[in-house]
Amino acid sequence: MSNSLVFCSFDAGRDGLPAGAEEVLTLARKLATARGVDLDWLVIGAQPSGVEAAAAKHGVAHIDHIDDPKLAELEPDVVVAAVQQYCGQQSPALLLISQTFDSRLVAPRIAARVGAGVVMNAIDVASGDGEVKVTATAYGGDTRVEYDVAGPVVIGVVSDPLLPEAAASPSAPEARSIAVDLAGVDERIRTVQKASSDGPRLEEAQIVVAGGRGLQDAENYQLVEDLAAALGGMAGASRPIVDDGWTDSSHQVGLTGKITRPVLYVAAGISGASQHMVGCAAAKTLVAINTDGDAAIFKYAQYGIVGDCLEVLPALTKAVKGG
Amino acid sequence: MRIIICVKEVLDPDAVDNYVLHGKLEIGDDGKTLTQTSIPRLMNAYDEQAIEAALRLRDNGLDCTIDVVCIGADPTAILRQAAAMGADEVSTVPVADGSLDGHAVAKILAAYVGAKGGADLVLCGRQASDDDQGVVPALLGELLDMPVVTIARSVELDGGSVRVTRVTPNGDEIVEATCPAIVTISNELGTPRYPTTMRTMKARKINPNQVTIDSLSLADSDVVPLVRMSKQYVSSVQGNCTFIDGDSPDAQAATLLSKLRDERII
Ligand SMILES: Cc1cc2nc3c(=O)[nH]c(=O)nc-3n(C[C@H](O)[C@H](O)[C@H](O)COP(=O)(O)OP(=O)(O)OC[C@H]3O[C@@H](n4cnc5c(N)ncnc54)[C@H](O)[C@@H]3O)c2cc1C
Ligand SMILES: Nc1ncnc2c1ncn2[C@@H]1O[C@H](COP(=O)(O)O)[C@@H](O)[C@H]1O
Repeated sequence: MSNSLVFCSFDAGRDGLPAGAEEVLTLARKLATARGVDLDWLVIGAQPSGVEAAAAKHGVAHIDHIDDPKLAELEPDVVVAAVQQYCGQQSPALLLISQTFDSRLVAPRIAARVGAGVVMNAIDVASGDGEVKVTATAYGGDTRVEYDVAGPVVIGVVSDPLLPEAAASPSAPEARSIAVDLAGVDERIRTVQKASSDGPRLEEAQIVVAGGRGLQDAENYQLVEDLAAALGGMAGASRPIVDDGWTDSSHQVGLTGKITRPVLYVAAGISGASQHMVGCAAAKTLVAINTDGDAAIFKYAQYGIVGDCLEVLPALTKAVKGG
Repeated sequence: MRIIICVKEVLDPDAVDNYVLHGKLEIGDDGKTLTQTSIPRLMNAYDEQAIEAALRLRDNGLDCTIDVVCIGADPTAILRQAAAMGADEVSTVPVADGSLDGHAVAKILAAYVGAKGGADLVLCGRQASDDDQGVVPALLGELLDMPVVTIARSVELDGGSVRVTRVTPNGDEIVEATCPAIVTISNELGTPRYPTTMRTMKARKINPNQVTIDSLSLADSDVVPLVRMSKQYVSSVQGNCTFIDGDSPDAQAATLLSKLRDERII
């Protein structure tokens, strides 16, 4: 087994970088330094424009690139096969993957192919005695769990609590083109109808106003939308009101919805269950409006209003517009 | 056709959240096990929805056997619930609590599916609400060489194919795969049915089939976990909220906005 530690991305990303790349590279750099091994970056498919600069900034030794016409859509069967072949050639000790909707399926599949242990929802990684110690969240973030994993290991890292930090000294990464043979790999899942929304994304919104069951009634979701519009932000929701159809699932914030990191998150009529907070705890400022002064949400909030959101939301909208 | 549904028994996540909120979650002497016996043990909610997905296929006229399996210490209660909902067969492979990881569980499930002579469709939950890992269905797919379609809002069968509406971050997408296939079910599927009192009474007499690891021809070395939990602790939350007072919602709104403006947040 080689000892290399590999950050693997198969995500065209936005703004020229795969999702979470800098956060995961920061964590990977720390571990590679502790172990005294190379940090390599495996890029699957077309290489996003920002990869070289980010690789240098985070002290990456090699940019290993796999491209193939079959990888144009980054579909799971070809991505899994490509990474499997890479592991066959390079035998990395550790593969770190930024946790996204797609990687949540691909990471455990790669682990199964290469006989590696797999841990998702990781927030920290350290070296143990011949093992890797992974800290991950459980119960929607209520608890943290430390896992010991004998190598090789595939780890899905959630980037939210992490902050990007450049390596002590930048590197001059060497680009390597890795040859794989995907001729025999056919995608088993056929897309009949693609997902179509490409409007603004909650994940990238600077201001989010979210509502929960405390809104009492479907029609009151409008109050959330009004304040969001007045602030130039986007509307979010807790899961129960999405389940009840007050708004559609593209608005759901949380463990199984969108992970937001806005400058301002206003939570109206939301109790603050851990599974919701995962999706907004990274907000710079969190404002909570809840009739129950003991609601969990106030433990996370910087500002709290104990009151009826059906009154406070319109008052805020009016004040924003008036000011 | 045979539909196999994999269900996991979990501690009620709302109860865990509540104990955490009140600073009362207890962790045992081993430093990792949640020991409060007052926390209810439930069927993972997504797995209940997986059963519901299968029952809907049957409601729509599909001729099928619905077979529910749980790897766990003593999941009799949740398997009776599965039977009351409408499962034809319920089975358990007993293992000690917390002794396995996703890999070992997937190996046992794969052997179970094999022992049944295969399945046309395997349904799982999108993730378990205790460890939140969501890896077992993907690992199982690799072991059984079946395609895995995740996060389904709805599942239809069409000839030898399964057609799934998936909830993706960019909206719904529709995909198809040839059976046998694995599909993971999400809460968007909707509320699972509540069994009638009569069915619940009848299910009380059902004893799940006990399948042993030996009878699945698995060697001890097949069920050694690669991932071992060494520690579990409660995450700390800061808790320094400034409450905004005021005589009226308008006054509170004005105070809040001026604070946010002072801090250049808006
Ligand atoms: C595995 C798993 C995954 C999950 N994923 C998610 C997820 O991604 N996102 C998510 O949101 N949830 C998720 N959940 C559900 C989560 O556990 C909670 O059940 C949910 O977040 C609660 O939503 P809520 O706060 O709107 O409703 P409730 O918990 O019912 O809270 C309503 C709140 O409104 C307050 N209220 C009532 N009336 C008013 C009023 N007039 N004005 C102001 N406040 C009022 C109440 O005091 C209460 O605090 C998940 C659960 C599990 C087990
Ligand atoms: N012990 C188990 N027995 C049966 N099915 C399981 C078990 N553990 C996980 N599963 C299935 O795999 C899904 C994802 O679980 P996990 O990977 O643990 O998050 C669950 O929703 C179940 O459908």
